[in-house]
Amino acid sequence: MSREVATEVERDPVYLVRTSAFDGPIELLLTLAQRAEVDLGAIPLASLTDDYLRAIEQERPPLDRLAAFLVIGARLVQLKAAALMPEAQVGEEEDLEAWEDAIKGRLEEYKRFKELAESLMRRHASGRFTFAGLLEPDVIPQARVQVSLDALASAFQQVLDRLPPPGPVTVEMEQVSLADKLEELRQMLVRQPQLNFSAVFRHSRTRLEAVVTFLALLELIRIGEARVAQDGAFGEISVHRQERTKHELDG
Amino acid sequence: MSSMVESATQVRDTAGLSAALEAVLFTLNRPVTILELQDILQSTLPDIEAAAASLGQALAGRGLFLQRHQDQLQLVTDPTQADVVRRVLRPEYPSRLSPAAYETLAIIAYRQPLTRARIEEIRGVNCEAVLESLEEKGLIEETGRLDAPGTPRLFGTTMKFLQILGLSSLDELPPPPQSASTSS
Repeated sequence: MSREVATEVERDPVYLVRTSAFDGPIELLLTLAQRAEVDLGAIPLASLTDDYLRAIEQERPPLDRLAAFLVIGARLVQLKAAALMPEAQVGEEEDLEAWEDAIKGRLEEYKRFKELAESLMRRHASGRFTFAGLLEPDVIPQARVQVSLDALASAFQQVLDRLPPPGPVTVEMEQVSLADKLEELRQMLVRQPQLNFSAVFRHSRTRLEAVVTFLALLELIRIGEARVAQDGAFGEISVHRQERTKHELDG
Repeated sequence: MSSMVESATQVRDTAGLSAALEAVLFTLNRPVTILELQDILQSTLPDIEAAAASLGQALAGRGLFLQRHQDQLQLVTDPTQADVVRRVLRPEYPSRLSPAAYETLAIIAYRQPLTRARIEEIRGVNCEAVLESLEEKGLIEETGRLDAPGTPRLFGTTMKFLQILGLSSLDELPPPPQSASTSS
């Protein structure tokens, strides 16, 4: 039997194994190992694969040959592993078939789940959620978390610290009007209803300008046109545009 | 006419029980187990099942929706009203999950309860991170331990899983895949 296999593969072996314990086509090694006619324990599979990797670097075989080696190699590793664990007996050729079936079955199972995953994704993306009432704590928008005045003040201090140091004293009347800044900030929030706190001061060139901008922000918060929120302790503070309710307009 | 004492112990009819169930679910506003409801409504399991079925039918076409996940019931808004609810609520749900997360969710949804090892066997890759993230998002949870060496954790989906898909129950999922070769 083994001679038949040998003549069959001799013409075109997937790989010729050259070790002291076994010398010949890898297909033959697998066949003999399956019949326990060769001791896999004596064949270092790691160096066998190393040799193979070196060989295919020289000359790259076609894909089906690479795949064939992979299958045979995996089977050899499985046999060797089974030999080391006396409990797990691996049988002969029927086992290889069962093994292939199992792999095929697993691939099909995975493919079906992949399709189901896509239908879940489409369903999720359609946005047709159901919602619990507002008492459910994790659907209350995080943005409603209030920022303490201290956190706001210290964030502003950081903005001030980032400004360039004052240059030589120039006595010059600087005109920065709160009304202008208020309008500028409103426009900013119209263009971008949610801003990082530091972005509010992007255009502030001087200390005075930054101070007036901060006053303008406080004013917007007071009259209800903006609110500030923070993701968590020490998180970035964000500024949100807010519509004034009728009640607030009246008051 | 029966006395007060008698009527309190009498079994309510399905319509009455269904109305009571609706009131309780509205007030509690969270997933409530059938067992809890038995206690709250002083009723039997088959009566509560019947009341739930009747409530589900009564809500067809309304803005509210009865959701059932395993042995839990919850009153939520109807999936067709998601847009208007989103406008008032602005909830912070993750808008998209990764393909790996959907795959893992699908496997858990159809095969629950199951272990991480079984999920990894199907997906062929390590699933530790994706399971952690799904659990953090509240879409899956530990439902128990497998009675096997190491007592590995068993995973199942949650009510929130139904909520992000707008399903009334797990039965509404597309038909499950046929089990592959029963090698294990």
